[in-house]
Amino acid sequence: MSIRLIGISSLVFLCIFVVQESLISQFRLPGGGFSILIIFALSWAIMSEREVAAVIGFSGGLLMDLSQSSSGPFGQWTLIMLLASYGISYLGYGDDNFFGGAIGVVFSIVLANLLVEVLFLLSGPLLGVSIGSFGQIFTILIGTSVWTLFITPIVLPLFAKLHKSIYQAGTLA
Amino acid sequence: MSKGGQSRTRLLLVILIVTSLFLVTLDLRGVQLLDNLKQGTQNLVSPFQRIANSALSPIKSFFSDASLLGRSGSQIEKLEKENASLKLELLERADADVQLQQLKGILDLAGTAGYKIVNAKVISQGSYQSFAQTVTIGSGSNAGIAQNMTVLSEYGIAGIVKEVYPNSALIQLASDPGFRIGVRIVNSQQIGFLSGRGERSAVLQLLDNSTDINEGDVLMSRGSIANRPFVPGVPVGYITTVDNSAGTIAQSATVRYYTDFSKLSVLAVVVGGPKSNPGDALVPQKPQPIPTPTVTVFVTPTPSPTN
Repeated sequence: MSIRLIGISSLVFLCIFVVQESLISQFRLPGGGFSILIIFALSWAIMSEREVAAVIGFSGGLLMDLSQSSSGPFGQWTLIMLLASYGISYLGYGDDNFFGGAIGVVFSIVLANLLVEVLFLLSGPLLGVSIGSFGQIFTILIGTSVWTLFITPIVLPLFAKLHKSIYQAGTLA
Repeated sequence: MSKGGQSRTRLLLVILIVTSLFLVTLDLRGVQLLDNLKQGTQNLVSPFQRIANSALSPIKSFFSDASLLGRSGSQIEKLEKENASLKLELLERADADVQLQQLKGILDLAGTAGYKIVNAKVISQGSYQSFAQTVTIGSGSNAGIAQNMTVLSEYGIAGIVKEVYPNSALIQLASDPGFRIGVRIVNSQQIGFLSGRGERSAVLQLLDNSTDINEGDVLMSRGSIANRPFVPGVPVGYITTVDNSAGTIAQSATVRYYTDFSKLSVLAVVVGGPKSNPGDALVPQKPQPIPTPTVTVFVTPTPSPTN
């Protein structure tokens, strides 16, 4: 991965982070809403090699930790996103990939998003994070999954195009 | 992937995992560097949040009003006849009215108790992904706001200042699972602790098990040393369910907050506590039933004609 690719990718990540923190966070959506940063990181991870996916997950998680509304210790999201991105890339990369088609990719991102939330919940109490009542947790898990299922098909073509333009140009350069 | 490539990927993965764990350790040990990094990020993001908040205010009002569309059909028909600019103006006005109403409530509350407050607009909602309940307000240390100050809504407690930046502050809402507040019950003066649980209801645990508590009992904040994080006498909520299960060490109950955390647009940070404890001065008035007018009709029978 060249310095140029890392630079451009970082800029794209920063833009997505600003969109999440300034635009999407304006709305108190029912069921907990969605995180465009998680969807973006997982989408890019699924389209990338494992090595790149790990870096993508790490960067995305780092930005999520930098978010002021993040409740856990710094590094918790970084670790979770790193593992999730590497995992999803491990299953998705290559000709014999696990997903096979756009619908498969969408459902994989929804499942990975759910897994990320569950990992946060499981690791939270170990790191001193309060997580709320069962009802609230259940609502957020279901709500974020439904929102991710609704949003991913809309944004996936854009993210795929962006990934293709950056990484194909980077490979040729 | 070649064997060399695989081992390189594994090495990278291990390095990144170790880095993540290192960051977690640094944070848990309270290293300042990470706080500064977060503060820098917030300083970068808060102007965007402010712009987005101003730009999206009419749209947000539109979304919240959408649920009422079915109930106000005639009003919609009338509005449809108006032009687009007038619609936008009305939406902006409606948003301003809501904020004005909330501000008036807050000023009434703070004025009665003698709190010195700084008002601020909510410029961003916290992310649910971390299972936390937070909002960001558009005033910070430049306006005299500091960490661990009480935050009020028009109805009572809203939360505390968790992080403060020059021009913004992060508020931990009272509904956050990590929120704890010492409270007293207005009638019995029993004291206990209230814990948020991610929704509008919270769990009350009393320190004394001997006295009875009842549904509808009002809770007020107890106050902290030097009024931080909590000033005394702020309405918190009322008891909705009492847990009377046998064998419990401390009596517990479910409490509903007065504040509706889904409709916060203006908040006030208490920067100066009252000179004396306001006591029960802020206990909300119970709604008075409106008497139904009874109409009595006296009918005088007309005399029937006699033959």
